[in-house]
Amino acid sequence: MVDYKSNSAHLYFTSTYHSGAKFSAFGTISLTMSKAEMDQAVMPDLTSRLVNAVTGLPDLTHQDFTFPNMHEYSNLEYNLLGIHLGFEYAFYPGWTFTADGQYYDLSDDAGGWVYGDESGSYYMIRTGVRYSL
Amino acid sequence: MKKTLSILISGLLLVLFCVSLSAGQESETEETYTVWFGGHYTDFTDYQKKVGEYMLGNEEFLPELMVDYLARGKGYILTLNGHYYDHKNFRGTLTSRVGDRFKGTFGYNSLYHREGQDMLTYMETREAGGGKILTHEVLDPGADYRVHRQEFQSEMKALLSRKNNITLMAAHRMVLQKGAEQSIGNTHCFSCHVTSQTATVDKVTHQVEASLQGDIGKNTIGYDFGYRLFESVAQPVYAWFDEARHPVNGLSGAEFDSRLIYADTALPINAYPKTEKFQHKLKTKGSLGNGEYAASAGYSRAENKGTELVSTAWSGHVNYSHPLNQKSRLIARIKGVKLDSDDLFIDLPTYREGRGPTASQRDFDFTRYSTLNRSEFDGSLELITRVNPRLTASFLLGYENISRKDYPVHDDGINTNRFSGQLKLRYRKGLTYSTSVKYRYEKTSDPFTSGRGLFEARGDTVLNPIPDGFNFVFYWQREDLRYQAITTEPTQEHIFEWNSQWRPTSKMNVSLGLKGSYDKNGDLDSLDVNHLNVQPYAALNLTPNPNWSFMAGGSFIHYKSRGPVAVALFDG
Repeated sequence: MVDYKSNSAHLYFTSTYHSGAKFSAFGTISLTMSKAEMDQAVMPDLTSRLVNAVTGLPDLTHQDFTFPNMHEYSNLEYNLLGIHLGFEYAFYPGWTFTADGQYYDLSDDAGGWVYGDESGSYYMIRTGVRYSL
Repeated sequence: MKKTLSILISGLLLVLFCVSLSAGQESETEETYTVWFGGHYTDFTDYQKKVGEYMLGNEEFLPELMVDYLARGKGYILTLNGHYYDHKNFRGTLTSRVGDRFKGTFGYNSLYHREGQDMLTYMETREAGGGKILTHEVLDPGADYRVHRQEFQSEMKALLSRKNNITLMAAHRMVLQKGAEQSIGNTHCFSCHVTSQTATVDKVTHQVEASLQGDIGKNTIGYDFGYRLFESVAQPVYAWFDEARHPVNGLSGAEFDSRLIYADTALPINAYPKTEKFQHKLKTKGSLGNGEYAASAGYSRAENKGTELVSTAWSGHVNYSHPLNQKSRLIARIKGVKLDSDDLFIDLPTYREGRGPTASQRDFDFTRYSTLNRSEFDGSLELITRVNPRLTASFLLGYENISRKDYPVHDDGINTNRFSGQLKLRYRKGLTYSTSVKYRYEKTSDPFTSGRGLFEARGDTVLNPIPDGFNFVFYWQREDLRYQAITTEPTQEHIFEWNSQWRPTSKMNVSLGLKGSYDKNGDLDSLDVNHLNVQPYAALNLTPNPNWSFMAGGSFIHYKSRGPVAVALFDG
């Protein structure tokens, strides 16, 4: 019997600001921290119990039934930071200029047993014009 | 591409049909629309496929477009919403409504998914002393797995007659998935050679739904039809299964070959089944006595077209709500399901065939009876009462039975019984404060288990060779050492939920809550299974003045489980 536990925390903060009908801005920051791990599996020692019926000798003395590192394959530890900022400005009746940017940074601190180190980040910058009627 | 185009055109024709109906309405049209056009630039650092799992991954400037359109006239509404992010990620919905007579909707959603490559590095070990070995081989290192998912949805509702509210609905949904994915194959255990390669993805899902319903007096009756088809039209991927031989010295090829179903050949792996499912359902609802009822009866038939295996399901449910007085009502719910799946005979080559007349040959042919074969019954009785103008309480008692016909033993399956009790309280003080609390307890006898899944028996320490002159034990003999059912399913479960909302002013709102559950199973000796799940959360919304608004919050999820761990070992 083995214990497996995971913890995940998510925090966020968002704010928006409107200045009259022409200008508005917003910002969001979020942080997600996740960690999961399994305790070491301590297997019973079978080497003295499994006996070859013909020879009468232990059958598996050449085996090693300890698994000191196997449980580490289940380790997961991710931290994701996200930031999203933007603003809008109505420069002419019906026409609005918009701009926003996103930044996300993921750190993988678990060892990357399956896909390798998955740490990475990206940013995205977006701008455009909105016309409303 | 032709299929995609035809679906797009037929969906648009459906909506244009409704548009043409709306155009016939003599009225002035009010139009509003918003068009946003611009572009975005994305830049990645280090590994992309986790942080940018649903992005193209291109580091370049890409144009982007968003459209919202609304046309409203007397008796009709036409809306169009769309967002083009890049040439693989875009969506759109077109809806037209003509009074209460017709409503047509067509939607398209395109999504791109990038998947990582399992490097298999954890699949490498060797028996102490230089014996048997487990190796892995990635045949497509650096492969880029990407799947483009497209979904087309169209739906039309028509009110054929106002006299009896006769309504017809027809809908079609198609999902296309194209790209490449990882395919992993495993050679037989004598060599434990795991290989990975790229497989083409080309999957199609069609789903058709239709319904007709109408009123007869105070009752409504209806019929639902459903059809679903899934198939993969990609070329199959083949894996090479190694030549049979002794895992350490590489000799005795003929002997090891006689113990295997196949070796030294390439065979298709990880094939997707072609499945087809038909569903029919009759349903009714209305008034009965002082109360209200809803009931249905259904039949479905699903077939794996490749193997011609069929599974069928009969289902039905009845709900009845009866008012006891002005403050209380009683709700009775009953539902049942009967599932049957075809048996499958597994015909295997004779074990050690061709090894001479004295060879210890075995016939391992067997019939696979499905764990799906079962009857299910679920019934509950719930009392809901308004204790006072601020407090509402409900109390529920339930019973569920799952009778499995053929698992773990043919015609002698597990009979699972589950009793449940639930209490819910809801308190509301105007718009300022509200809170709700729920507690549920479930007691289960004989939950689903893996029959004789625990390996190996304590005390059963002697492995007896077969009486054919061998002084060793075959792998298949070790199956006899399995001795006890094993499960991670609970026999007792406690579920708790709490949520409170506090709004002291119109500018501030606070939300607090907690979800939790704990279950355990101590009925099986040598097993002590339990699971704990705790999820507190909090949120604050603040609008100090018309210019500023703030939102902040957080949640935490703690999960802990205790269960059996099985380790695959050489020599069993």
